[in-house]
Amino acid sequence: MLEIKNLHATVGGKEILKGIDLTIKPGEIHALMGQNGAGKSTLSNVLVGHPAYTVTEGSVLFNGKDLLAMSPDERSHEGLFLSFQQPVEIPGVSMVNFMRAALNAKRKYQGQEPLDATAFLKLMRERRKIVELDGKLANRSVNEGFSGGEKKRNEIFQMAMLEPTMCILDETDSGLDVDALRIVAEGFNKLRTPETAAIVITHYQRLLDYLKPDFVHVLLGGRIVKTGGPELAMEIEQRGFDWIKNE
Amino acid sequence: MQNSQAAKVTAPSQAGRAGGESQYLDLFRSERALIDAHSLPELNALRDEAAATFERLGFPTRKVERYRYTDVAAAFAPNYGLNLSRLRIPANPYEAFRCDVPNLSTSVYFVVNDQLYKEALPKAKLPEGVVVDSQLRSARLDGQPSTLAPDPITALNAMLGQDGLLIYIPAGVRVERPIQVVNILRSAVPLMVNRRVQIIAEAGAEVQLLFCDHAADDQDFLATQVVDVQVGEGAHVEIYELEETHARCRRFSNLTADVAAGGHLTHATLTLTCGITRNQTDVVLSGKGASVNLYGCAITDGQQHVDNNTLIDHRAPGCQSRELYKYVVDEQSTGAFAGRVLVREEAQQTESQETNANLVCTPEARMYTQPMLEIYADDVQCSHGSTVGQLNDDALFYMRQRGISEAEARLLLKQAFASEVINQIALVPLRDRLHYLIDKRFRGELSHCTSCRMCGKGKI
Repeated sequence: MLEIKNLHATVGGKEILKGIDLTIKPGEIHALMGQNGAGKSTLSNVLVGHPAYTVTEGSVLFNGKDLLAMSPDERSHEGLFLSFQQPVEIPGVSMVNFMRAALNAKRKYQGQEPLDATAFLKLMRERRKIVELDGKLANRSVNEGFSGGEKKRNEIFQMAMLEPTMCILDETDSGLDVDALRIVAEGFNKLRTPETAAIVITHYQRLLDYLKPDFVHVLLGGRIVKTGGPELAMEIEQRGFDWIKNE
Repeated sequence: MQNSQAAKVTAPSQAGRAGGESQYLDLFRSERALIDAHSLPELNALRDEAAATFERLGFPTRKVERYRYTDVAAAFAPNYGLNLSRLRIPANPYEAFRCDVPNLSTSVYFVVNDQLYKEALPKAKLPEGVVVDSQLRSARLDGQPSTLAPDPITALNAMLGQDGLLIYIPAGVRVERPIQVVNILRSAVPLMVNRRVQIIAEAGAEVQLLFCDHAADDQDFLATQVVDVQVGEGAHVEIYELEETHARCRRFSNLTADVAAGGHLTHATLTLTCGITRNQTDVVLSGKGASVNLYGCAITDGQQHVDNNTLIDHRAPGCQSRELYKYVVDEQSTGAFAGRVLVREEAQQTESQETNANLVCTPEARMYTQPMLEIYADDVQCSHGSTVGQLNDDALFYMRQRGISEAEARLLLKQAFASEVINQIALVPLRDRLHYLIDKRFRGELSHCTSCRMCGKGKI
């Protein structure tokens, strides 16, 4: 469903991605590991169309369509979702208005009528439970005053609302205590179907214990230098990355 | 300068040098008898002093500190007519106008151009002793005692003004139902109007006032207004001014207020659509423990120009003032805010907070901001600050990743920015209505007044 071929990208004139090749099929979870600066977050930002990043070479097909030709909101409507490493606080925009605008934009894109207020609020209540998100938080401004854990749970809540098919979790485990990590990971697992796939960016094994990736890729210097099964993540947890560099 | 209404123009037009002060002074001198014959005696009593003051001061140039952001002479240069013989506009605004603030029940009065419409009045009875009428009490040229030099526009307003609106609340009376005054501009030719309002809330009185400015004709209008507010001991007054006019309107409003011991004034000025607007708001906290909240929100685009100039004068101990003005300045429009807070030596234990925050949406838009704090007392808590910024790119991208289009994301962020001011409004139905109007404003659906049927363009 996602085919990345020879992807090169720059930010601020500096080349970060130097030829990424990655193919993801429905139902698969791909873990992306690597040291800071290896290009993991750059790859996720390029895939969702962040304007600061420029693609200089290569192609990305998403369900057969040219992903790179789409605007960020179109990519979202097509089913691509990024759980941000640092979710943004938006004072003055309530979670309700934010989610309603997002969901109804997607429905419009799919040729559906907007949800009425009652149906929408009911849906919010249901989906909130998946990540045990407090109703009070849902009435506040987007991420404003949320703790680190609440922000990450809010990301998975938004995922539950929008029902994407391709999720990118960018260090969703960072800043989470053990309980919050479990809630977020279990929430994500509840949303999985045989049609959905994910890229999970992480430094640690503990998130992968919950999500059970099918493939583990190691990114180094803007390229995927090693690919393996779940056992590769274990090995990295024990040995670090240096042995891969030396291979 | 003409004495006119529609075709009935008596026109000592543009005598002497074109534009400038002379066209107003010449008109005043040649039509003095006509002006006096159709005016309140309290205004006639002020006229000589007003004319002498206006002649001496002239229009303020940009070198006058308080007027540095607005070109007054240019706004007053066109050849507007005046309705000196007070011909009536035939339409009944009570039939033509439908207030569309849901769940807000007000006593509505209409001021058509600068005349209180008295052929019909609101059905709801005001509490005993409350007056809303075409009269003035103890009018002074400069309204309340102020720290300022006489103001030329206030003088011009008094020189030519003919009608007055008095809102009087006797001691201890609480007016439950808000009083709404709808100012409607109507004319087939360019028109100047001069409104004078006096608001007196005696000790312990409570009232909420809503002034809505509309322009029902696509015409050049110049409106001056002088508002004199007296807040008695322990009285509570809230004044909301909402402007929804159009690009051909110029508004110059000078409000002065005196707040006695333990009294409270909230004043909010919300400019949704206009041409050139300048609001000068001067508040004297004259008694111990008096307080004032000044709020402002301006949304500008096109060639619009909004200038809010405030002075809060702390003259007594233990007073509080709070100021929050926010602007969203788009396209080629201009915003200006200058707010001076003066804490005199005797005003110990003053608490004062002044904030001006601005969103500048294009490289062509301009925002001028000048918060000023002058403190002569030594035991005070005061802060002031201003910010000028653009929309947060991270927030924009976050929203777009969730599928919200760029246009919609920008709109939500602008609304969120303005909503901080709207959320201060205590009158809940008005607050809800303003959120709705601001949404329409940012969507560009507020090019005509939404609440008025007079022009047939409004949609309800």
